[in-house]
Amino acid sequence: MSLTSLPPLPPDTQPEPISRSSRPSIRNLWATCRSWSSRILSLREDQLFMFLAVLIGIFSGLAVVCFRIAIEWVHLVSLGSSMFPPVPRVLIVPVGGGLIVALLVIYAFPAARGSGVNQTKAAVYISNGYIPFNTVIGKFVICALGIGTGQSLGPEDPSLQIGAGIASHLGRRLNLSQEKVRLIAPVGAAAGLAAAFNAPISSVIFVIEEVIGTWSAGVLGAIVLAAVSAVITMRVFMGSESLFRVPPVRVANAGELLAYVVLGVIGGGASLAFLKWLAYARPRIQQWPNWTRYLQPAAAGLVVGFIGIRFPQVMGAGYSVIDQALHGQFSWKLLLVLAALKIFATGISFLSGTPGGMFAPTLFIGAMLGGAVGSVEHHLFPSLTGTVGTYALVGMGVFFAGFLRTPITSVFMVIELTGSYTAILPIMIANLVAYFISRTYQKVPLFDFLARQDGFVLPSIEEQREQVPLTVEVAMKTDGSVVALPDELAADLARRAEEEKDALILVRMSPGQWLLLDRDELHRLAADGAMTTKAAEANPTGPLPILFRDQSLEDALHAVGDWPAVPVVSRADLSKLEGIVTLADILRAFRNASLE
Amino acid sequence: MASPTGIPSNAAGPGKYSREIVLLTTLLLLLVFVIFTAFAARMYHKQYHTLGDEWFARGDQDFHSGNAAAALSDYRNALLYSPGNANFQFHLAKALAATGRNEEARAYLVTLLSDSPGSGETNLELARIAAHGGPKMMPDALRYYHAAIYGVWDTDPIAMRWQVRKEFCEYLLDNNAMNQAEAEIIALADNTNPEDFAGQKTAGNLLLRARMWSRALQEFQTLLSHDPRDEDSLAGAATAAFQLAQYSQAEEYLQRLPREKLADPELARMHETARNVLFLNPFAPGLSTDEKAKRAAEAIAVAQARAGSCERQNSAASPQGALSTSPLASAMAKSSQNAADWTARNLRKYPERIEPAMSSVFEIEDAATGQCGEPQGADYALWLIGRSRAGDSK
Repeated sequence: MSLTSLPPLPPDTQPEPISRSSRPSIRNLWATCRSWSSRILSLREDQLFMFLAVLIGIFSGLAVVCFRIAIEWVHLVSLGSSMFPPVPRVLIVPVGGGLIVALLVIYAFPAARGSGVNQTKAAVYISNGYIPFNTVIGKFVICALGIGTGQSLGPEDPSLQIGAGIASHLGRRLNLSQEKVRLIAPVGAAAGLAAAFNAPISSVIFVIEEVIGTWSAGVLGAIVLAAVSAVITMRVFMGSESLFRVPPVRVANAGELLAYVVLGVIGGGASLAFLKWLAYARPRIQQWPNWTRYLQPAAAGLVVGFIGIRFPQVMGAGYSVIDQALHGQFSWKLLLVLAALKIFATGISFLSGTPGGMFAPTLFIGAMLGGAVGSVEHHLFPSLTGTVGTYALVGMGVFFAGFLRTPITSVFMVIELTGSYTAILPIMIANLVAYFISRTYQKVPLFDFLARQDGFVLPSIEEQREQVPLTVEVAMKTDGSVVALPDELAADLARRAEEEKDALILVRMSPGQWLLLDRDELHRLAADGAMTTKAAEANPTGPLPILFRDQSLEDALHAVGDWPAVPVVSRADLSKLEGIVTLADILRAFRNASLE
Repeated sequence: MASPTGIPSNAAGPGKYSREIVLLTTLLLLLVFVIFTAFAARMYHKQYHTLGDEWFARGDQDFHSGNAAAALSDYRNALLYSPGNANFQFHLAKALAATGRNEEARAYLVTLLSDSPGSGETNLELARIAAHGGPKMMPDALRYYHAAIYGVWDTDPIAMRWQVRKEFCEYLLDNNAMNQAEAEIIALADNTNPEDFAGQKTAGNLLLRARMWSRALQEFQTLLSHDPRDEDSLAGAATAAFQLAQYSQAEEYLQRLPREKLADPELARMHETARNVLFLNPFAPGLSTDEKAKRAAEAIAVAQARAGSCERQNSAASPQGALSTSPLASAMAKSSQNAADWTARNLRKYPERIEPAMSSVFEIEDAATGQCGEPQGADYALWLIGRSRAGDSK
């Protein structure tokens, strides 16, 4: 059939002639966008919060990608592309970088000081989640300059603060409620850290473990969403490879775990020494005259440069060096030297006031130490099957647990980096040993003592975590009550009550339903000669709230209210009375606990 | 005191734009940010790729010019920009091994091997490192060489496997693992392309080193059938024939060699010995009785001279009693007793005496060798004839 012989289209399917007015115009597009925007904004605030979490995740991911590129770019421009740059460069570049960093921190971005973790925590607890956007820019520029020119610091903690700052800015611009603005900073923090680490689970756990301190369902979903969005964004632009190529991990038998315990002890000791040094030196350096602040980062750069002449591995974040250690490519002597020098260089860089993170150096030191311990153990006991790389990997977690004191994050981080649960036992054992040593001999964790040295007190998540909550069991009395059934005669009950002078009279109506009978009312009924009146008819009050022995005293306080006492019953049998608790009992328990 | 974030605690306040505008602007900014990041990331990857390739090329250049230490540093730099690049890692491992840092090289190679266990290249490098580790590492070397031979090769796998097997055979011969070497050399010879004359020559030389004379002779004869004037093949065939006591054949091959080639001390000695054997051997086929008797008499004279010289040599160092009871003395005594019967004339007359006369000669030469060391010249020829006769009689 030829084209000309086709039948005409029915009138309603004829295409409309294209008119100027029906073309999509910018105005229409704008109107459509505004309409979509209104629809999004008309979501309930918790739904909007989730939407924003994704947006924050993408923004943070992009920012971290740019941050990483900026660090590399500064490094290439300043130190060149060789692993062993020429000596004059190694000395001049960190010093020059340090001078610029000092000027920027003092004059342009004073809020960009520090690693970023405490600053984010402070934003949550002190400033209602407010982080000025200027800080984000400052952190980005200064850290890129500092780390790129060789200061021994890492980009993860600054990424955390950059994410938090972006989130805070977005939340404020969208006029979220103050509560949501306060909660949104940790969401951004998790996103920033997740993108920097390429590890969403450990980032979420770190933010919960260190920044917020509680597993709040309200914010958990948003944190996870943001972290996942950030990691996806990061992977789109930088590839899906994890930070380190992890060799196969093998633990042949349980006896080998002893070797990891030794690693835990050594790692715990080293992290403790590092903590003690920082805690000792920082307040003293802070007391130096103000003019020295201009020179401190440059002086630190000079020290790091001197180390870098012979051991350039110590300069910068050192991811590639960790990667090499994981593949057993260094001798134990070199590993040990690198671990010691990195502790020194990182301490100097951090104490100088150069903004930058402690995560990457922590992993670096841990990997070197672990590798060294593993090599020596292998030399002494050739039958050990774990590779040097396995020890380096476990060492990363050990030092992380001992130094940053986030035991759960340390375990998950290593698992996430390896993508395997094979090493879970050695990691858990060694991390716990290191954590225990550090906790025993350095009571205040790193971030807490840094905050206190800066003159503000942030809630110590470690203290919160280790506090044993007071329970009803501590305050309840197992005697002092008379339990009556509803059909028990008031006269009999009065007789029983006479035997226990101060006891409360409780009437058990049904399982879980308890009433309180007034002793005077019972006596009045008995005196009136109402011989057939039953307990249930004696005007008991209630129902009383019930408590269980494992509930917290805060719950008990809420429950007691104006009641003279509240029954404590068994969870297995609500009709079984285990005791009673009064307001006075609760207050006494609190007082005793505080005295202890 | 100011808060650590640098702002008052209640700084959050309402913005001056409507929320719709803020959200739309945010989404627009996100788009711009995505485009910018994509551009930056693209440049970053491109630069990294370029830097990695540049350092690798520099490393290759250094390595091939014999500067393994510089190549090592270059390869390390290349790996900075492409840490997972297996090719870079492999070359770094080779440079490490070349600079004697075998343990580090091994660590890289083992990692590579865990990613591709069948890699011929990686197994070969590991085998070489193990081979440098001495006898203690021999089991590792055997394992890696075998894995390399049967491994995956990207380019020209047949030639590569042949080369690896050749290297393996040399390693086994160097370490006196003769049984394993024999099997591998036979496999190498069998897997050599008949058109590959250089390969066949190599196989023949390895067969010579493994003392597989017949197989070596066969190999060189095949080669000579293609090129009868090939000097290496002639030398190889001559050696094999000589060791098989086929002296006339050996002499024939040696005769075909140019004079310059025969200047080689080993070949020259072989040539002289072969000629002596051919001139002195009374058992050579086709000889007349006169000639046999003449050669036998000559052999007796040579042996007695050797015995006399040996006795003189030893008499200075040893007590008289010891000499008189030595095997040489008893062999000499037996020869002296029959001296009259074993003259040229009597041997010609009684050819059946040639056999016992020569037996006495061989006995003297054996005893002299035991007492005074390896014989030279005509004595060596007689000693060889004796050994050859002993082998035949067995």
